[in-house]
Amino acid sequence: MEIIVITYLLYLAISVLLTIWVARTLFKNGRIFLVDVFHGNESLADSVNHLLVVGFYLVNLVYVSLALKLGYEVESWRAGIEALSWKIGLVLLVLGVMHFFNLLVFTRIRRSSLLPYVPPPVPPTAQTAVREG
Amino acid sequence: METLTVLYDARCLPCRHIRAWLEQEPAYVRLVFIPAGSEDARRRFPQLDHAATLTELTVISDAGDVYAAERGWLMCLWALRAYRAWSLTLGSPALMPTARRFITWISQNRWRLGQAEFLASCADGETGQACQIGD
Repeated sequence: MEIIVITYLLYLAISVLLTIWVARTLFKNGRIFLVDVFHGNESLADSVNHLLVVGFYLVNLVYVSLALKLGYEVESWRAGIEALSWKIGLVLLVLGVMHFFNLLVFTRIRRSSLLPYVPPPVPPTAQTAVREG
Repeated sequence: METLTVLYDARCLPCRHIRAWLEQEPAYVRLVFIPAGSEDARRRFPQLDHAATLTELTVISDAGDVYAAERGWLMCLWALRAYRAWSLTLGSPALMPTARRFITWISQNRWRLGQAEFLASCADGETGQACQIGD
């Protein structure tokens, strides 16, 4: 087998495993966020969580697939490892960005779900007596 | 908090338009509008300085908390569903001074803004309330 083929196979295996790892973290810990956002409605939270994770897998596996091709020949094992490291690095970067983007989205959703309960933004300037009109 | 009473300057045009807009926006807290310095206002809030309410917007909660000037504006935004998040941002320490300057400017210049609106609408040949002098 050529070196480049081994590099590609290693790249795919490592990238897919990393994607699965990050996705499972988000799935497990994101659920708590969503249950809170949906005011305890667990089945709704599970449903949304599942949909979000599917989206996450799609985006990341699309990237992994499209970024596979090296575009140049790999003549030695050293070159193979260097190419592999570079590609995996990019995959991790994309996963990291997606991960923080997900956190941002969760935080925004939670904040807007709490809006009805938020107190006034400023204290009163004074107090006065109120008589029924 | 269920109701916020807004004492507004009923003599100025932009104020009346803003009132109309606020009234039709979906809200978390009901906004009740009473002309500042009116009999109704004096009866409901006997201890309040009603002369002051004519120069700056005053918003009062049903618990008697008084929010004057820019705080009153922020409370109006806070009451609205679409603008509550904005009220929190504008009321933050970073943006509050800027918001205060902007609101003070509008408040002090509301007559000039009203005149400009009056002249513009009458120049268009519009008849009706906008063109009645001394309304």
